[in-house]
Amino acid sequence: MFGILLWGIAIAALLFVLLIILGIWRLLTGGKRSFRKKLLRELPGWEEKGLISPQQGDGILGLYSLKRLKGRHGMDMVKVLSVIGSVFIGIGVIFFVASNWQRMPAYIRTALLLAVTIATLFAGYFFSYAKKGFENLGKSLFLLACLFWGGSIALIGQIYQIPVSDNWYIMWLWAFPILPVAIFFRNSYVYILSSALFLVWNFLYGANTHAANYLYPAIVFAVLFPFGGGFTVARRINIIGLVVAAVVCCFFKLDWLALLIGAGLLSYAFFRKTEPLYLHAATISFLCWAITFFTVRDYYPNFYFALPLVLLFGLSHRHKAGLNVILTLLAGLVWFDMIFYSYSVLYRFSYAYYNFLIVQLLVGVVIYAAGIIIKIKKDGFYLLYKVFGFLTALVFTYLFTFNMPYHWQRYITPQFNVSALVLAGLILAGVFYARAGGYFKNRASFLELAGIAAVMAAIAIFMTLPDRTNLHVILANVLLFSFALISIFLGIEVHMPAVFNGGAVIFVLLIITRFIDIGWKLKEKSLFFILGGALLLAIGIFFENRRRKVVERMRG
Amino acid sequence: MNKKIIVILIVCLWVVVAAAFIFSKQIILKTGKTVLLETLPVDPRDLLRGDYVVLSYKIGSPEPDKIKKDKSFYRYDETVYVTLEQRGKYWESVSVSSEKPATGKDIFIKGRTRNSHRDRIEIIYGIESYFVPEGQGKEIELATRMGSKQKPAVEAVIDKDGNAIIRRIILEK
Repeated sequence: MFGILLWGIAIAALLFVLLIILGIWRLLTGGKRSFRKKLLRELPGWEEKGLISPQQGDGILGLYSLKRLKGRHGMDMVKVLSVIGSVFIGIGVIFFVASNWQRMPAYIRTALLLAVTIATLFAGYFFSYAKKGFENLGKSLFLLACLFWGGSIALIGQIYQIPVSDNWYIMWLWAFPILPVAIFFRNSYVYILSSALFLVWNFLYGANTHAANYLYPAIVFAVLFPFGGGFTVARRINIIGLVVAAVVCCFFKLDWLALLIGAGLLSYAFFRKTEPLYLHAATISFLCWAITFFTVRDYYPNFYFALPLVLLFGLSHRHKAGLNVILTLLAGLVWFDMIFYSYSVLYRFSYAYYNFLIVQLLVGVVIYAAGIIIKIKKDGFYLLYKVFGFLTALVFTYLFTFNMPYHWQRYITPQFNVSALVLAGLILAGVFYARAGGYFKNRASFLELAGIAAVMAAIAIFMTLPDRTNLHVILANVLLFSFALISIFLGIEVHMPAVFNGGAVIFVLLIITRFIDIGWKLKEKSLFFILGGALLLAIGIFFENRRRKVVERMRG
Repeated sequence: MNKKIIVILIVCLWVVVAAAFIFSKQIILKTGKTVLLETLPVDPRDLLRGDYVVLSYKIGSPEPDKIKKDKSFYRYDETVYVTLEQRGKYWESVSVSSEKPATGKDIFIKGRTRNSHRDRIEIIYGIESYFVPEGQGKEIELATRMGSKQKPAVEAVIDKDGNAIIRRIILEK
């Protein structure tokens, strides 16, 4: 009784949280969605009555960037009711099992439940295939039979006191035998149930044994993916399950498992272009592999990662997956840092926070230069590379601008100089390549060149004068300021308000950071902050005015 | 393939799986050796999750000086075999081994290691949950609590390979 009460409270609490989330969502979207939905439903009626012409209808829809509904879409009432009914009955039976009703001997209870399960399965078959016109009912009865099967397995487990820590075993016995129902009767509900159960099975198995479960990816790759064509929801549950498994690998140090998952997902991404999630999931899994490799192999540099990285970049470009380009760049950046660190440990050259910042700055510029080169190659994603490279350089320059050099150890060793020179050489090669390709012709490209030159010059000074920490901080601030200026002018030059606004944001960020920096050290904080704040507000209003005018001019 | 044949095949599969599951447990109950195991008081907060009681056994965390071990360190979730001996009413652990002892000589129970720290070791045996029949929850819960005068004992059955199963729980005054 107590358990059921707890369940009731938990479900009520869950519903409450869902309601709050829904409320916030409605508040944020301001009911816009419901207006659009209404418009989509009403518009065909207006056209039928001749109030507006189809051309006018298209015009109105275009105004809200909506597309016409294609025929009857979504679920109909019968389907929804029969599915909810089956799920309710199934949950009811499982609750009944959980209450451990003792007034009937265990073997009779088991036999009865098994008989009901089998009867429901036959009923599902009867209404799906033998009797015409009840296909929806048949489909739901198949789902119900599979839920009853779970109840039967749970009941047997309970009779023999299978401990809760072995629940993964119960999940496995539930999920596997219902798979034929999902596959042979093309039942999307059972496919979803089975996929979710396999996911839970893998999760519980890992949580209890801390061991690698190679069977889960094997089942997903060899059975659930190939036979689940067309079942989008189930497929995505399986993809999420694999990503979760790959992330868990990082914690339990299972590098081979993460590699297997990444490789499998990558091959699916290669052959099934229509599902973009394969590629994203592959990228995340490979990143998990790189991290796990780093922790397991005692800092042995993972050069093998270069191969999947190249494949991921290639596929992202081939499938025109912009989001995945960013994901892959991120994975590449993390991998590069780990390999650099492993390398420094392996060859015993010292590598500290300061060195890390310099390398990141250089890598940011390398990515930016890559953006320039692929623009020459007429690849549409050049902007992603440029923005990613710029943001990388920006973030690490910002970290450099704080005057806390006592936190930083500096190791300007010959090995580090060589590494930095290699990166700088890459950048220079890129710039010369771009020049030969006729890139540096207009003012905008010269602004970009100025930014690159500023970073290179700053790093050259950092590395030749490693002990002048005050100079470093001043230089980093100047560099950040020049980023702001270059963005502002570049935005005006190429008529891109986003770039211009970005420059303004950098500028404001720089002022506020330094302001807080200085204010923190003063004894008389209150007056400083009040006066300073007022001054900032005044500057802000003035600046915002100018900024709007420029952006409006750009748009006009 | 004909859908009817598939339904029949699925039913066969389900019946076979359920029967095998039942058989694998029933054979332990029929052929195994019955032992009485002493339980330890459990922190009441962990006790009644839903409809089962968490049981903790004296043989699950053996005292370091009273047990022989074949290794100084055991991995997480390593399979171990714990040899039991009857001392008075209860059966207690004598030695831990990662190799399976010869069958037929001693009574041993199969377990999986949890935390192994210095000379202490924790082992679970797959008999740590007891599903409480309707209306009996409170009584057992109170009995397993810290400071309770009653001491629940578990009558478990162990087969020759060390697999254990709970037959019943006994509340002693």
